[in-house]
Parts: sequence; C-alpha cells; structure tokens
Amino acid sequence: MDAVKIVDSRGSACPGPITDLAKAYRNSKVGDVFELWATDKGVKPDAEAWAKKTGNEILEAREDPDKIVIKIKINKR
Amino acid sequence: MKKVLIIGGGGGGLILANHLDPKNYDITVVDKSEKHYYQPWFLYIAFKGSKRKIWKPIDSLLKPGVTFVKDEITKIDLDERKVYGSQKAIYNYDYIIIATGTSPDPDSIPGLRSVYNQYGDYHSSVENSMKLWEHIKSFKGGTIAIGQASTTCKCPPSLLEGAFLLEEHLREKGLKDKSKIKFFTPYPRAYSAEPMNRVAEPLVNERGIEVITFFDVDTVDPKNQTINSIEGESIKYDLPIIVPPCKGTRINIVPEKVQDEERFIKSDKYSMKIEGYDDAFAVGDVNNLPTSKTGVTAHLEAMAVANIIQGKQDQFSGRINCPFDMGYGKATFVIADYKNPVVPYPPTRFKHFMKMSMARIYWMTLKGTADFIFEPYFEHTTPEKLSQKFK
Repeated sequence: MDAVKIVDSRGSACPGPITDLAKAYRNSKVGDVFELWATDKGVKPDAEAWAKKTGNEILEAREDPDKIVIKIKINKR
Repeated sequence: MKKVLIIGGGGGGLILANHLDPKNYDITVVDKSEKHYYQPWFLYIAFKGSKRKIWKPIDSLLKPGVTFVKDEITKIDLDERKVYGSQKAIYNYDYIIIATGTSPDPDSIPGLRSVYNQYGDYHSSVENSMKLWEHIKSFKGGTIAIGQASTTCKCPPSLLEGAFLLEEHLREKGLKDKSKIKFFTPYPRAYSAEPMNRVAEPLVNERGIEVITFFDVDTVDPKNQTINSIEGESIKYDLPIIVPPCKGTRINIVPEKVQDEERFIKSDKYSMKIEGYDDAFAVGDVNNLPTSKTGVTAHLEAMAVANIIQGKQDQFSGRINCPFDMGYGKATFVIADYKNPVVPYPPTRFKHFMKMSMARIYWMTLKGTADFIFEPYFEHTTPEKLSQKFK
C-alpha cells in the first residue's frame, strides 16, 4: 500500500484546517490522495462543501477518538 | 551582561526590547529601515485617502539604554550564534529574537506582479496604499474584484474591511448602481472563521457584495482583466484589488530546516522558541504559529518572550484581538485563543471608536506605557468570558 500523505491540522481552530486543505490542494496533482487530520468539528461540512465546489472526492470521513480524518482524492486540478 | 539581539524593529521587536531591563541586558535592535509604520492604517489610506502620518523613527520608540542599528541582515547562523549584516558586520548574542514580519510575494502567482505594480494594494506599504486610492478615487463604475490571492495573508479581517469600506465609498459617491463588488476568498464563507461569519455575512448580503467562495488565485491575466482560481473559476474585473501572498523572512537562516516551505520559522506555539533551540525565538508574523498574523499576536508573544528571557514563567495563550471595521462607523473585534474559538462579537460604534483610538495609543503600546490599559482590557475580554454572552 502506498503511504498516504498526511495534512496535519490538529489543534488549529477554524479556519486552520481549510487553510491547510487549500495549501495541500495548491501543491497537488490529479490522482493524489491525502488525509486531512483535524480536531475542529467544523472541518467536515467545510471539506464537504469544498469537495462539491471543486469536483474532488471525499473517500472517507471518520471520527477517531482523538481526531477527525477526511480522506481526499484529487480528481480535478 | 547577556546580549539580546532583536532582528526587526516592527511591533514584536520593539515591544520586546522595551520590556527587558537595559540595566540587566545588553539589548540591540537591528532593522534595515529606520522607520516604523502603523500598518493597520494602510486600510484608511487606500479606501479613504487618509493623509495621516503613520510612521516614527525606530530609535525614538526605544527606551533609553537600548541600542538601534540600521543594517540589513543577510544571514543568521543559529548553531554558531552569529548574525551577518550587509556591511560585513558580525553580531553575536546570548539570545536572538527574529521578528522580521512577512514580505509580499506577488511573483509567486503568474500575472500578479504587473497588476500589483499598477494598482498597489493595502497590505504592504504607504506607497502601494496611495496608489490604490488613486484608482479608487478615479473609479467611475464597473466591477471591482477584491480579495486575497492565497490563504497566506496577514490580518484576516482586513479583507472584508476593504470590501466594506469600498462599498461605503461607492455609495457616498453615488456610484453604487453603476458598480459591482465581487469579493473572492479561498474559504467556504465571507469571513473565514465561522462564528464571525454569522456576524459579517448579513452585512455583506445587505450591502450587495457578491461573495465567491473557494476561490484561491491561480493566475491573473491583466490583458483580459481576469483572475482565475485553482478551483477553475474566473472573475472579470475593471478594477482589481488583490492582496498578494506573503512569505516569511528572506534572510538566510542556518540551519534551513527551521523554516517551512513558505519561509516562516517553525516555533513552539507557547514559548515562541525556534524548534531545537533554547536561545532563539521567532516573534510575530515571521513564525508559523497556528494563529492569525496580526499586531496583537506579535505584541502578546513579545511580552511572553520578554518574561521567559528574564526567567519568569510565561506562555502565549494564542489570543487574537483583531479590530474589524464593518463600515459606516461600526466595528467589532475578532477574539479567540488556542482553547476557544472566535466569538461572534457584534459591531458597535464604541468598538469603532476604540479601533480609531488605537492609531494614537499604538505608540504607547510599543513603549510599554499603555500596559495599564491593555492588561485589564485583555482580562475583561477573554474569549471564555465573551462567549458566555455572545453565542
């Protein structure tokens, strides 16, 4: 299994996780898969809105005991 | 006597220098410029044509016993504890504080440089703000596109502040019906932090400002007058107001690994110590702390570092307190810290008065002579306290 890139935004408050997501998107290419880790609850609806707007895909959104993990696949860049 | 070397005579550097005792420390501040600017006023130069003088000589803002040297630092070696200036001067230290702020980087976005040179902005200098005012003053109608070019930007409220003041200007000049303000943002909403958006968004809508969300600038095309986003959208403009991305310090720092890919310095979010060092700190906009790049964070980080150097227990709480002008004589403050999210604090005329008063009190804050006002203020307006009342 390929190592999935982690974008670690734990501990940063809104809009920190979306800042980190936007930066990762800026540096990404089609086909990239990465996990956005956050502790801010707002990350899920924001990431979903982002995926919808940009045409990218959320492969998984899960809540671990210590973090929220959003797995993202870049389909459009 | 221990030598404290402070690189940068901005808010963080000066507040730190003025909160150390020159009887116990040999304190030197180095800056490439001899002028210190009150940067929050760029907004009023660009959108209201203010002619207020907003600078003072750095040496006039330092308390007696602190040395100021005008020099451009080219290299800082944290392992050798040596700092190199442009005139081949070499400085050494027991403690170093890097407080050089950010620098605008319009060249990182294709096409932005020529727009930036032509229209200016309201984040980087008095000259650029005056240039933008000339364009706003002579604007006769059409589409104005305003926003930040990337997520890396100083002063989060300033983006919407620009849109609000612009709308106020267009209405006063009777141009409202002939023009359209398009506010673009890389975030999901008009104000990046959700709770403050609940306060700002109704005003944005009421004033007819169109918001284009998830718009992170990829390229600018001055010939066709369009701004294009990474997300695949385009905005056509008659007047572009684009705040360029900002980057950390241009100084060559050894070892390189203490800087991130945008040249911000990796530092501990409570102590501001540069990763791996006990004698080196990064204060203010130049560090990579997970908080906003704003004057108040530089101020509070500097106070904490001054205490840490002097052997007192202290840490930075992550407190922000960003004044937010919402137009028509009303303002609010964006208040949060590491533990508490932004409070949806409503705008009032009194808060606008406070924001305007800051332009006078500011010089005292640098010297430390306004601490008696700020200490109780910060105490009375903690995000925990405010969030009880404003939900």
